Amino acid sequence: MTPPTLGNTTPGRELKRRFLWLGLAMTLGMGLLSIQLYRLQITRGEEYSAKSVANFVKEVRLRADRGVIKDARGTILVDSRPSFDAFITPAFCTDCAEQVIPRLAELLQWDADQRKKVEDLVRQGRRNAPFQPVPVRVDLTRDEYDRLAARRDILDGVEVAPVPHRFYRTSAVLSHVLGYMNEITQEELERLNGDGLRYALGDYIGRRGLERYFEQRLRGEDGVRKEVVNARGQKIEELNVKLGDNAVVQPKAGSNLVLSIDMRLQEEAERAFPGVTGAVVAIDVHTGFIRALVSRPGFDPNLLTGRVTPTQMAQLSRDPLEPMVNRVAAEHYSPGSTFKVVTALAAFKSGAFRPETVVNCPGGYRLGARTWRCHLDRGHGLVNGLDAMKSSCDTWFYKVADTIGLDPIGEMGKSLGLGSPTGISVVAEVPGIMPTSAYHDKASPGGYTKGMALNSAIGQGDNNVTPLQLALMYAAIANGGTLFKPQLVQRLENLDGQVVQEFQPEVVRKVDLPPAHLKAVIEGLVKVAHEPGGTAMRSRLKYMRDLDVKIAAKTGTAQVARLGAVRLKTHQMSFFERDHAWFAGFAPADKPEIAVVVLNEHGGHGGADAAPTAMAVIQKYLDLKQQDATAPPPRPNQPYTPSLSRAPTPDEGTMTRAVPPPSHLPGDEEGEDLNNATAD
Amino acid sequence: MQLRIERRMVPHVPWGLIFCVLGVALLGIWNLASASRPPLAPVWSSQAAYLGLGVGAVLVVCLVDYRWIQRMALPIYVLNILALIALRFVGHTAKGAESWFVIGPLRLQPAEFMKIGVVLMLAKVYHDDFRPNEPSYGLVRLWKPLLVVGVPFILVLVQPDLGTALMIGLSSLTVILFGKVRWYLVATLLACVLAGAIVIWNDYIRDVPEPRPTIVRHYLKKHQSQRISGWLDPEADLRGSGYHAAQSKIAVGSGGVSGKGWREGTQTGLRFLPEQHTDFIFSVWAEEHGFIMCSLLLVLYGAIFIFGLGVGFNARDRFGAFIAVGVVAMLFWQVFENIGMVIGLLPVTGITLPLMSYGGSSMMSVMLSIGLLVNISMRRHMF
Repeated sequence: MTPPTLGNTTPGRELKRRFLWLGLAMTLGMGLLSIQLYRLQITRGEEYSAKSVANFVKEVRLRADRGVIKDARGTILVDSRPSFDAFITPAFCTDCAEQVIPRLAELLQWDADQRKKVEDLVRQGRRNAPFQPVPVRVDLTRDEYDRLAARRDILDGVEVAPVPHRFYRTSAVLSHVLGYMNEITQEELERLNGDGLRYALGDYIGRRGLERYFEQRLRGEDGVRKEVVNARGQKIEELNVKLGDNAVVQPKAGSNLVLSIDMRLQEEAERAFPGVTGAVVAIDVHTGFIRALVSRPGFDPNLLTGRVTPTQMAQLSRDPLEPMVNRVAAEHYSPGSTFKVVTALAAFKSGAFRPETVVNCPGGYRLGARTWRCHLDRGHGLVNGLDAMKSSCDTWFYKVADTIGLDPIGEMGKSLGLGSPTGISVVAEVPGIMPTSAYHDKASPGGYTKGMALNSAIGQGDNNVTPLQLALMYAAIANGGTLFKPQLVQRLENLDGQVVQEFQPEVVRKVDLPPAHLKAVIEGLVKVAHEPGGTAMRSRLKYMRDLDVKIAAKTGTAQVARLGAVRLKTHQMSFFERDHAWFAGFAPADKPEIAVVVLNEHGGHGGADAAPTAMAVIQKYLDLKQQDATAPPPRPNQPYTPSLSRAPTPDEGTMTRAVPPPSHLPGDEEGEDLNNATAD
Repeated sequence: MQLRIERRMVPHVPWGLIFCVLGVALLGIWNLASASRPPLAPVWSSQAAYLGLGVGAVLVVCLVDYRWIQRMALPIYVLNILALIALRFVGHTAKGAESWFVIGPLRLQPAEFMKIGVVLMLAKVYHDDFRPNEPSYGLVRLWKPLLVVGVPFILVLVQPDLGTALMIGLSSLTVILFGKVRWYLVATLLACVLAGAIVIWNDYIRDVPEPRPTIVRHYLKKHQSQRISGWLDPEADLRGSGYHAAQSKIAVGSGGVSGKGWREGTQTGLRFLPEQHTDFIFSVWAEEHGFIMCSLLLVLYGAIFIFGLGVGFNARDRFGAFIAVGVVAMLFWQVFENIGMVIGLLPVTGITLPLMSYGGSSMMSVMLSIGLLVNISMRRHMF
């Protein structure tokens, strides 16, 4: 053992050197710390400052009011109503998956799927934005609201708040035009926010129709209120001064839409339209603005906006009558005899035919080995151009097609807007088909033959139009050849009713139609409604009160099924094989204002099943015009209250319209006895 | 045993050291007044009381000749060990660790005092075991220091108080290295550090698909493992293991050059930082006073270390020199580890910042250590 005194000697030079090294090492250590401090505080100071602000500043979104949709007179068709929604704020929802959601599921009677969906939503929210309330149930019923309110103490992080919900006051009426809204998807959210728009998960976004097309205008700009919160999310009022002046950005309300549709005319069209499926469109011949638009069956946008259940959704999409399809523009049909105006115009233009040209109708037209039948088996005898139009004699038009071929007819149709989109853009549309020989060479096996021209000339064959195209075409004939772009929205207004944007009539093209030709065609059309033997005369007499008003009209009965050897009566065919009843026309014939097209799908005969609706619409239009001329201007911004007795809802629809279709459809019996006189 | 201060001691009082220590302690109280602003309990007043007690302790320690302390080193050491063992049976459990004695209103953390015990005992061993003619310490000769360190190290580790155990380990290692060991031991140590780095790289950083082949990770408890991953990438699990580290970095970084001002810190005021008045006290200082004042604090700490080492440099015997090294090493590692974890340089461990963090035991043990340094400095003349 070394004697202890040895340790008492003064530490040697070597030990002292070690002290120096140790001191150096510690200084280095402190230096290391200050380098890291420099990196944090000076180099990245700004970044961390921003992070610390983001830490305690919570941005509360102030939703902008969505613009309302009004009809031409300011009657409110779509606005918002308060709805009580249940939210979960993930950050404050402790034991969410284990306790709160099962309880909530029990109180609101959710099934397993729905529970799973909510759990996923909350989990996702917790990760992305824990302070953002996640909507878990929209539109609580009174009972559910009370149940939640009573058990609030065991539902951490659940709150019930009134939220504006879109309210479609017209329910199924105009549903295809107005559209509906539903929740934004994750992909849309990323795409839209990538474009600089600020949407949040759970937001509703316009689908279809006006809601979709004018989404950005209707939506307005959300505002923001900044709040200081502590680490537990509690609001700290006294620190709000830290945020300065721009703590609140007020929301900007969206623009209001004023439609060109007059709800009074619309109601009349809805009331007068007898069919279960089909379309009515009334259009201003001088501007292209749509005054009324029926597409049946419709759907209830209120249901689709957030409340639709998967069962209802499936029912809607399985419905054989396809209530989601806008029949005015998004579906095309054989125009039938309503197309004959095109054939007539093409015939006059070719120079080979004049209105006085007489053709003998023995009840059919022979071309090669085959006979094309006229709808009247016993034949019309000798008919000139005007009478052919009046009685819708097919033979006269077969002769035209045989003489001039398909292409002049196709060119005429195309110049009048058939076979190409109308450019309405607000709603979806199909272009329709206007066949020419080139089309048939491409599309038909064996290429173009003369028979195809004969079919096309009377609006059959591959000839397909949408009711909207037909209406614009008749409007063009009425106004002397100007083809307009159809429009539904007159103007955008701000909250105070000041005009933000006015939509002007847009001309697609001016068609070069000699006035004489037009006059002849219109004369024929007037005969249809005014002379005995005219297919629309009976309806006019029955449904019009202003009998001195001249109406130019054409009815049509478009075959859906191929003709058999024996002509079947309407009631012998199943619903989906029955003919489409058409009406197209305008009034007054001498000074045209409004063009109306009615399509009663599988409805029977144009004269009996489509013309009455059109007559009623025209009569109502004239009444309203007179009324508005004398009465003071309407009070704007009245909410719309339906005066219709009933509008079919999709649920009702599927229940009453299940296949097989109703055996008794309006117009069945009448069709028989009218057949001889007015069938086309 | 002499309990008086002689006139010849007075010129050797380390005024610089005392000045720096008091400076840091007062800044600490001022800072605590901000960290514990309403609605939190105002703990700065009790901290001031602890400082008063600490100054008293310094005086008491000064009065005693440290050669008497040298004789008492073994009993003190044994007593501390016994206290640690007793803690296993009557300790108060908080946050999953048994590390407190609760005596009435007082909460004592024996591990804090154990640190001093270890330093004293190590110094005594190195003093007694001085063989000037032999080469430096080999593995065999190291058994005594290793035993002295090992026992308390294990006892603290099983509490479990990883942080304090680490402190005991690191400061003892510094003393042992200071006592000079053979080169192969140094080489082994470096190899171990390298191996540790490789393990961490393999277990946490290397980009391999799951399940990754781990070497050590699966032996660690989950919260320990998370501390390491949280240290490496605090932003990865902001709500969980990385929360402390990330929030603390945000607090420090947002301080910028000149800070947000006393009691103006938002991270502090809105309580985004848990443990802000104990382990994370430095982040409060950094957020509110910025880089310049942080540097000042680091300079003050550095000055304490340098003055402390100066005491050892001028000590007249090996015991004094080794105590100085041990005490300074202990302070240094605490400061380094604490600030390092606050600024995201080192993993989060429950280490307090000497003189700044709130806590009586911590303040006491630091002041006792300072007392030892003053004592040694004052008795330079004795030989």
